[in-house]
Amino acid sequence: MDGNALIKIEHLTKIFDSDDKSVSAISNLNLTIEEGEFITLLGPSGCGKTTILRLIAGLEIPSEGIIYERGEKVEGPGPNRGMVFQEFALFPWRTVIKNIEFGLEIQGMPKEKRREIAMHYIDLVNLEGFENAHPNELSGGMKQRVGIARALANEPDVLLMDEPFGSLDAQTRNIMQRELLGIWQKTNKTIVFVTHSVDEALYLSDRVVVLTSRPATIKKEISIDLLRPRDRAGKEFAKLRHEILGEVEEEVTKAIASERKKEES
Amino acid sequence: MNKKASKAQKNRTFFLSFFKVKKNRDRLIHLGISILAVIIFILAWDLYAQLQNKPYLPRPHMVFDALIASFFNRDPFSQRYMGEHILASMVRILYGFIIAFILAVPLGLLMGWSKHVHNAGNPIVELIRPIPPIAWIPFAIVFFDEPFDTAFIVFLGIFFPVLINTIFGVKRIDPIIIDAAKTLGVTKRNMLQKVIFPAVIPTLMTGIRIGLGIGWMCIVAAEMVGVTGGGVGFYISAMADVGRYDDMFAGMIVIGILGFITVGGASYIERRVSRWMGMR
Ligand SMILES: Nc1ncnc2c1ncn2[C@@H]1O[C@H](COP(=O)(O)OP(=O)(O)OP(=O)(O)O)[C@@H](O)[C@H]1O
Ligand SMILES: [Mg+2]
Repeated sequence: MDGNALIKIEHLTKIFDSDDKSVSAISNLNLTIEEGEFITLLGPSGCGKTTILRLIAGLEIPSEGIIYERGEKVEGPGPNRGMVFQEFALFPWRTVIKNIEFGLEIQGMPKEKRREIAMHYIDLVNLEGFENAHPNELSGGMKQRVGIARALANEPDVLLMDEPFGSLDAQTRNIMQRELLGIWQKTNKTIVFVTHSVDEALYLSDRVVVLTSRPATIKKEISIDLLRPRDRAGKEFAKLRHEILGEVEEEVTKAIASERKKEES
Repeated sequence: MNKKASKAQKNRTFFLSFFKVKKNRDRLIHLGISILAVIIFILAWDLYAQLQNKPYLPRPHMVFDALIASFFNRDPFSQRYMGEHILASMVRILYGFIIAFILAVPLGLLMGWSKHVHNAGNPIVELIRPIPPIAWIPFAIVFFDEPFDTAFIVFLGIFFPVLINTIFGVKRIDPIIIDAAKTLGVTKRNMLQKVIFPAVIPTLMTGIRIGLGIGWMCIVAAEMVGVTGGGVGFYISAMADVGRYDDMFAGMIVIGILGFITVGGASYIERRVSRWMGMR
C-alpha cells in the first residue's frame, strides 16, 4: 500500500437490486486518494457520484470490490469519514452549536470541552452570532456552513462533500467555494468533492476525476496545477475548462442517448 | 456584517409590528364571530326548549343555574361538590394517560424503527384498536380496582392514537438525517435516543392531543357504569336517573369545557414545543 494513500478504492462495483429491476450504478472503479488532497469527482447528473461517496462513507455496501481507509477495509459508517450533504441534513431540533457538537456528544465528551471545540468551528465557518439559531432560521449558505462545521468537529480523516453548494445561488456558491478553500488550507483535511459543475471543480481541486455516464467509472483524471486563488476568467482556467467540458459533454450526450433508447424500447 | 445585520433586524421588527396590528385585528374579528355563533346557538336552544316545553330539555338559564349551584352544593348521592367530581375524573384520566404514554411511546418508536417489531406488533394492535374502549367496561370492572378500572378505559382511548402517531412520526423521518447521524458516529444503540426520539416529538404531541380528547369521552362512559369515588360521568348518570335534567346538562357542559380546555392546552403546548424545537 502507498505510504500516503488515505483512501484506496479497488474494483468497486455497485448494483442496486430491487424487486423489478437492477440498476448498475458503478462499474469497476479504481481510485487512490492521497492524504491532504482536494479531489473532485465530476460527472453528469445521475451517473453515480453520490453512490461513490456513500460507499466511501460506508452508508452503502459494495456489490464487488473493496474500499480501504489507511489500509483498513471500510465496513460501515464511522466518525473518521465525515460527510456533507447537498440537502444539508441538519438536525432541525438542534441549534447550530448543538448540531456542531453532535458527534462529540456521541463520543461522550464532557460538555465544556465540546462547547469549546464547537466554538472553534463556528469561528472557522463564520457563524459567530448564530450559535443558538435553529436550522429553519438560516439561509441555505449558512445551513451548509453548519453542515461543514458539524462534519469537521469530529476531526475526520476525510471530508466527503456531495454537491454541497448545489442548491445555493451563484453568488453564495462562489463565496462558499472561496471559504472552503480557506478551511481546507487551515485544517489540512483531505476533501473528496462531488459536483457536476466544471467551473466549481476547476476552481477548487488539485485533481479532477471525470466520470463516465452510468455505470460510473473513471473516464479521465486531470491534475490542476494552477495557483490559488484561481482566476475564473484567466486564460489557463478557460483552456482547462474547455478541455474538461469536452470530456463531460461526451458523457452527457451518451447518457441522454441511452435514456432515449430506454424510452423507445 | 454586524452593522448590516442589525439594520436588517430593525427593518424586520418594523414590518413585524405592522403585521402585528393587522394580526390582532384579525384575531378580534375571529373571536367576535365565534362568540356570536355561541350566542346564536344558546338562543336557538332556548327557543326550541320553550316550544317543546319538556322536562328533559331544560332551558339554558336553568342549566346555567344548576351548573353554578353544583359548585356550591353537595350532590344528594355522594355528598360531593362539582369540584370533587372534576378532580376524581381528572385523576382517572391522568392515570390512564400516564400509563398509555409510558407504554405507547417506546412501543411506537420500536415499531416505527424495526420492521420485525412492526410485523410482530401490528396484527395485535390492529385487532384490538377497532374495539371501542367502552366495550371493555365489564371486563375492567371485574379485573381492576378503583381507580384503575376507569383509568383502564381511558388508557385504551389514549394508547392507540399516541402509538399510531409515534409510529407515523418515526416513518416520516427524513432518511438523510439518519445517514448523517451514522456518519457522525451514532450507532444502533443510541440512534433511538439521540435521533429518532427527538425527531418524533412534534408528531407525538399530536397523538397526545388527540388522545386526551378521546380520554374525556371515555371517562364519562366508564363512570356512568358505576364508580364509587364520584366523577363527572357518575354525576351525569345519577342526575339522569332521578330526572334532574338541568343538573344532568350542567354535568355535560362541565365535561365539554374540561375537554375543550385540555385539548386546547395540549394543542397550545404542541405548537409551542414545535416552535421551540425549530420544527414549527
Ligand atoms: N438506493 C437506491 N436504490 C436503487 N437505485 C439507486 C439507489 N441509489 C441510487 N440509485 C440509482 O443509481 C444511479 C446513480 O445515482 P446517484 O445518486 O449516485 O447519481 P448522482 O451522480 O449522484 O446523480 P445526481 O447528479 O442527480 O446527484 C441512479 O440511476 C439512481 O437512480
Ligand atoms: Mg447525487
